[in-house]
Amino acid sequence: MTSLAFDYRRADSVDQALALLAEADPGTKVLAGGHSLLPIMKTRLARPDRLIDIGRLNELRGVNRLGDGGLSIGALTTYSELLANPAITVYGLLADVLPTIGDVQVRNRGTIGGAVAHVDPAADLPACLLVLDAEVVVRSARGGRTIALTSFFEGAFNSVLLPDELITEIRLPAASGDYRSAYRAQEQPASGYALAGAAVVIGRSTGGGGRFDRAAIGITGVGECPYRASAAEQEFLSSGDPAAAAAHATDGVLVASDIHADREYRTALIRVQVRRALEAAIERVG
Amino acid sequence: MTGVYTNTTFVDAYRGAGRPEATYVIERAMDLFAREIGMDRAEIRRRNFIAPNAFPYDNPSGLGTASGGAKIYIDSGNYEPALDKALAMVGYEDLAARKADARLRGKYLGLGLSTYLEVCGVAPSKWIGAVGEGWGAAMWESSNIRVHLTGKVVLTIGTSPQGQGHETTYSQVISHELGVPVDDVIVQHSDTQGTPFGYGSYGSRTSSVGSTAAIKAAGKIREKARRYAAHMLEAAPEDIEIDGANYSVRGSPDKVKTLQEIAFALDLAFDTPVGMEPYLDETAYYDPTNCTWPFGTHIAIVEIDEETGHVDLVRYVAVDDVGNKINPMIVDGQLHGGIAQGVGQALWEGAVYDDQGQLLSGSLLDYALPRAAWLPSFELDETVTPSPVNPIGVKGVGEAGAIASTAAVANAVVDALGPLGVRHLDMPYTPQTVWRAIQTAKGGQA
Repeated sequence: MTSLAFDYRRADSVDQALALLAEADPGTKVLAGGHSLLPIMKTRLARPDRLIDIGRLNELRGVNRLGDGGLSIGALTTYSELLANPAITVYGLLADVLPTIGDVQVRNRGTIGGAVAHVDPAADLPACLLVLDAEVVVRSARGGRTIALTSFFEGAFNSVLLPDELITEIRLPAASGDYRSAYRAQEQPASGYALAGAAVVIGRSTGGGGRFDRAAIGITGVGECPYRASAAEQEFLSSGDPAAAAAHATDGVLVASDIHADREYRTALIRVQVRRALEAAIERVG
Repeated sequence: MTGVYTNTTFVDAYRGAGRPEATYVIERAMDLFAREIGMDRAEIRRRNFIAPNAFPYDNPSGLGTASGGAKIYIDSGNYEPALDKALAMVGYEDLAARKADARLRGKYLGLGLSTYLEVCGVAPSKWIGAVGEGWGAAMWESSNIRVHLTGKVVLTIGTSPQGQGHETTYSQVISHELGVPVDDVIVQHSDTQGTPFGYGSYGSRTSSVGSTAAIKAAGKIREKARRYAAHMLEAAPEDIEIDGANYSVRGSPDKVKTLQEIAFALDLAFDTPVGMEPYLDETAYYDPTNCTWPFGTHIAIVEIDEETGHVDLVRYVAVDDVGNKINPMIVDGQLHGGIAQGVGQALWEGAVYDDQGQLLSGSLLDYALPRAAWLPSFELDETVTPSPVNPIGVKGVGEAGAIASTAAVANAVVDALGPLGVRHLDMPYTPQTVWRAIQTAKGGQA
């Protein structure tokens, strides 16, 4: 199929993009790499009446070290560019997961900002960014704001981003101390998206007595949108037991059901992935 | 009679068309029976093989008995060597130890056998056209060969490839028949403005039926070239000896004309014997006298993750007997593609509908086709039992992989789950299906 007809505008600067967005209606969509948006336009699941193409805004591309040791990643930075950047090697999770996303074409076109804005319920990267405590920097003609990623997703393909706002960068705090991560997912074989995927980061403070005093568990493919499994995190912090933590992976979440995995199977599957990810992170040195 | 209208996807011929289904039923039944009577799965197959001295073999199921005069029988076979070879390759004796090792890793390991027999080279028109037996069509094949004055040979054929490399294999056959370099053969097909009428490429019939038509046409070319060489060399046609592309007078090897020289002179045609038409241009039709019957043993080894139900195909061994091979690399390619296609049916593919008849697996985002990265490197070997049905002893290989592999994987999955008491499970073995079978077998809630 081909998409329905739409109006197309190309922004030549962030300011121009924001001006175009200021007059946007709910039928306006921002086009970055296009590897999520264009396929669903072709199947007409998405029917935008206007696209604002930000693909040439080089000011939104690239990775910069922040004063506090964190990273600022331009929203238009592709998965491939991110993977090739030495600054991400300290975030072992990204180094692990980025090469597994999609295929070479997707990684060369897909952008980190697009992955966050699209809110695919089963994408790999948002779950990883959740456990890295990412922040989303957005701008509009009215000004700007910074939103914790944990407050950003609202539901499937839905976020707190307002119609006139543009994601300009993703910020990651410094990875410090005893940082250990792992990602475990079972792919839906046709789409390659996660049927159930778990990203974990655990850590110990120096002088913390050997206990893990940091635990972040991000889950994708299971709920309406990627989420942090807070109850599982708490259980891991108190018991240190991966299996006990995994049992809480879907607390308070309406688990998705489809032809590949019904609610019962998907619930069992994500518990396995969470437990295995935690076990792998514990085993991992450094 | 009850007519039913449905808007679900219709079922039509797929690679193997009938033989994968038959093979699946037979191979599953063999495993179930072996388990029932406590006999080894390889042994029960061995005991039921047709003996090598029983060929040609009348199929007791009655195939071909009402065939308007054509006699359909199993042409040739020797099944045990293929089984033995495959069992040796896979290390069948060590299976129990490998199963125990897999359990230590949280996996169930299973081995599946598929000792298939299939039928290719369709078919004698008398049989396939017979009322109540065939499907009312003819199944002969056609070819035309023209030798241009340059010596280039153009073969046009009634078969019609979809990527099987017929340009290569037909060129090899004609190169062999006429003694010209492979590169001098031009194969033309699929354009009904320029190709003779034929019944096409399916049922793995091209190598056995199409090639035979081409070989017949090449024989006619040789005979006309012999007669014209005799004219050029002032000898009797029966005194012309043919060695490749060289036509010489017996006892006078220096008196020789090449096929190109003959074609050139016969194309100019200013000096032809009375009654001989110009040009080397011959058409032949071939109606096979019987079908051909490839066979072999395929063995799949799977490991199943007991917690997720995920099935990993870890090894695949195939020993196929497709008779003589025109081009071994193309044969291997056909087997590789066929095996992958059959594995896809066993593990991933299925049309899923909701209770309103809405197709839920409606795009390639939900319908999983096999990908190379999910498959092990296939381990192939062969036995060679030529077919007596056609002059080059080929049997056909277009579908063998897809016929054998689905059953091999099915048997492997059920074997893996055997320790849990699972006797049978329907395909496709998606993780959810396998997980639920494991839960049910363990007495869980599922």
